[in-house]
Amino acid sequence: MSWPDAVPLTVNLDDSVGSSVMSEVAGTEEQAEDRTARFERDALPFLDQLYGAAMRMTKNPSDAEDLVQETFVKAFAAFDSYTDGTNLKAWLFRILTNTYINTYRKKQREPYQSSADELLDWQIAEAESHTSTGLRSAEMEALDRLADADIVEAMAALPEEFRLAVYLADVEGFPYKEIAEIMETPVGTVMSRLHRGRKLLRDSLADYAVERGYVPAASVSGGDES
Amino acid sequence: MSCGNRHATPCTEVLSLVYVYIDNECEEMQSIEVTTHLEECGPCADIVQVERVIKARVKSSCECTEAPETLRASIVTSIRATYYRSE
Repeated sequence: MSWPDAVPLTVNLDDSVGSSVMSEVAGTEEQAEDRTARFERDALPFLDQLYGAAMRMTKNPSDAEDLVQETFVKAFAAFDSYTDGTNLKAWLFRILTNTYINTYRKKQREPYQSSADELLDWQIAEAESHTSTGLRSAEMEALDRLADADIVEAMAALPEEFRLAVYLADVEGFPYKEIAEIMETPVGTVMSRLHRGRKLLRDSLADYAVERGYVPAASVSGGDES
Repeated sequence: MSCGNRHATPCTEVLSLVYVYIDNECEEMQSIEVTTHLEECGPCADIVQVERVIKARVKSSCECTEAPETLRASIVTSIRATYYRSE
């Protein structure tokens, strides 16, 4: 290796190093400012949706606020790893879900609901059927008469993993693949959680309808008639 | 058990696909088969209708939660504090 060509550079060395450091500092500063602005512009609009989900997860406003606050702080810290143009909403919901499971569920001491065997379980055990006559008109009428608060209550009573899957599918309209990514489970598990969650929900709505006297007990079947 | 009528796709198969169908997650051919079946089978169509109504009610009753304005302000404050700290 030889250095002759390097000699003339020494003349401007101080200047060039100085300006390069300067521009690097300016670049970093601008990037951080841009990132903050971009985060506020792109991520913050999902606040209401994330808060809504947090309310269904924690079931109380104070924990929901803390959870969403923590979610946004984490998301901002990791915003560099988020690729622009990919699904920001799903990315935020994943952080929310993850934070909830790791922090708030432990705090609330809800028992962990294992669902590893769910898919086979329902596929094998549950033979779908309907009677030829059916009594669906009574069920439809009961559904019409139930209040929003009844639905919210029935959702809140669902086991957590089912509730979350149903929420992500029905309220947020996420496709199965994205729910799987958010909940960090295989798509088959998502399908099984939705299946079981909706069946339980339908059963409890049918129970409410009977309790409220909207329909006589005999005319509503919450589950399957076999 | 089925409704007693003959269908190209049996009721049991259609009923196992109800949720996948109302979530628009069926493959194209599956979706066509189910739609065709529902046109000819009242009992299955009723079940799908009930599930659709429940899905819609869950959405309308659970989605309308607005975050408190204080939360929004607090998040903005945290983010900007992080930014200034990192400088």
